[in-house]
Amino acid sequence: MRRFELAALCLAVPAAFAAAWGIDPGLQFLLVEALVLFLMAQMWNLAAGYAGQVSFGQQLFVGAGAYALFAIANATAVPVWVVLAVVPVLVGLAAIPLGMVMFHLKHAYFAIGMWVVAEIAQQLVLITPWLGGTGGLTLRPNGEPMQGFPEQLVLGLALFGSVALVVGLRVFLRTPMGLATLAMRDNPAAAEGAGVDIRRLHLILFALTAAGTALAGAMYYTTTLYTSPLDAFQVNWIVATMFIVVIGGIGTLTGPAIGTVLMITLREVMTAYGFSGDQYWIVMGLISIVTLLFLPRGLWPALQAVLSRPRATT
Amino acid sequence: MLVARGLTRRFGMITAVDAVDLDLAPGDAVGLIGPNGAGKSTLLSLLAGDAPPDAGSFVLDGRSIAHLPLHARVRAGIARAAQIPQTFARLTLRENALLPAQHGARLPARAAQLWADEVLALCGLADKAGSMAGALGLLDRKRLELAKAVAARPRVLLLDEVAAGLTEPEIATIKALVDKLRDGRAVVWVEHIPFALRGTCARLVVMDKGAKLLDGPFDEVWSHPDLQRIYMGVADGRAA
Ligand SMILES: Nc1ncnc2c1ncn2[C@@H]1O[C@H](COP(=O)(O)OP(=O)(O)OP(=O)(O)O)[C@@H](O)[C@H]1O
Ligand SMILES: [Mg+2]
Repeated sequence: MRRFELAALCLAVPAAFAAAWGIDPGLQFLLVEALVLFLMAQMWNLAAGYAGQVSFGQQLFVGAGAYALFAIANATAVPVWVVLAVVPVLVGLAAIPLGMVMFHLKHAYFAIGMWVVAEIAQQLVLITPWLGGTGGLTLRPNGEPMQGFPEQLVLGLALFGSVALVVGLRVFLRTPMGLATLAMRDNPAAAEGAGVDIRRLHLILFALTAAGTALAGAMYYTTTLYTSPLDAFQVNWIVATMFIVVIGGIGTLTGPAIGTVLMITLREVMTAYGFSGDQYWIVMGLISIVTLLFLPRGLWPALQAVLSRPRATT
Repeated sequence: MLVARGLTRRFGMITAVDAVDLDLAPGDAVGLIGPNGAGKSTLLSLLAGDAPPDAGSFVLDGRSIAHLPLHARVRAGIARAAQIPQTFARLTLRENALLPAQHGARLPARAAQLWADEVLALCGLADKAGSMAGALGLLDRKRLELAKAVAARPRVLLLDEVAAGLTEPEIATIKALVDKLRDGRAVVWVEHIPFALRGTCARLVVMDKGAKLLDGPFDEVWSHPDLQRIYMGVADGRAA
């Protein structure tokens, strides 16, 4: 690990505590949302931008994370923060057989196939009484109302988690498996010809990104204390995620951060000036089209080109 | 070390490789020649593992590997430098060579670094090790393709026209490299340029229309009347 990466991790700890106790609850909720979106975007970026697994079904893992958390926490005496740690492991493991099946589909078929799976999962939850059906679930750990302020815990976790994720991904990309991932992005057939087990690498990355997305979803719904199928499995998750990654710069680690800031800022400014949610999505759509027309690789690579740095992988 | 029997590969009506037998021993350097479309590249693909044979068996060091996927084939000890270079454009040359050193040769971190640098130096790319492969010209891409195959430390090294387009001094460096690598491993080298194979490959195999026509000591095969008839005109025409 390089020195500034270690420094970033160390700074993230007091920053997480400061954010958890020094900020007013309204802002805390907004920051949680931004960080959760950033985590999801970084996961989709790893899957789509590095591994080439473009999927329109990330909301499957958001919903899976939320429902796994609520189901386990409500039915057991295990503390919520422990369940938060267990959920990504469960969803990641469940993603492995799903990946084995879904990787038989290629490219657009895989992307749409994942969307179909997300829709099926939503329908299944809608008709499952013990998951609350259409009515959704309220977070009641061990059957009791939630105590304290979950935003505090989740914001601290999400802030530290975001920094740790970026540092972790930077370190990962320097390992043999990270090099294999970068090589696979350039030329999968040649990577296999160099001895990389592409199938296994795809499954690992699929499971890891599923786990990370599930954790982000579980954290988000811990702060709302309520989840429903129409919310947790909604297409808006993947739309926002793709917007952030594609505008910011797919296949770069900095791009999703820029995309998240842009998206949240724009939304808050527009809401402050009294625009509706629909109008906001129209503006976002226009921004994506303009960006993709003039800067097809996204904002960060374009900015890097201006700063004339030679390399756009970090 | 390597024993292939009856290797066959069809593309629709075409039988690109037709029941080819091939034996390789450690230290063998085999030149593989034949007219365009003879099936040389396809035979190398069958050996390398990126195309499954329609028929035939294939054993390396006593272990049947015909069913192994490409990456496992590389780890088992077969690597190929392809006719069209397959490099990683957004990785540096060092990373391009490091990947097969880590995943093909399965070397630990430090050893893989050293070996990758050594291979780049052998292939005449040491001064460019830090630049992106995407910025290379075709000749350097061919060198890098060779370096990637060598970096996997194969027992059987398959070279598909790695010298095409190179000047004689450049080819001479590749010949020296093959001589050096031959120790303990086998090399199969497809090339249309007689200068490249002569002196380096003690053995010559000739393919025509998918079948193996001749196989023997270089000079014997080179002066064989059948070769004169089907191939020599083309080879000499190219070499001149
Ligand atoms: N993927 C493919 N699909 C269909 N036909 C193919 C394919 N690959 C090769 N062939 C055919 O198989 C035959 C052998 O091709 P191959 O590339 O192995 O020849 P070669 O000896 O390497 O020729 P060259 O000297 O031109 O490289 C040719 O007739 C070619 O058209
Ligand atoms: Mg060929």
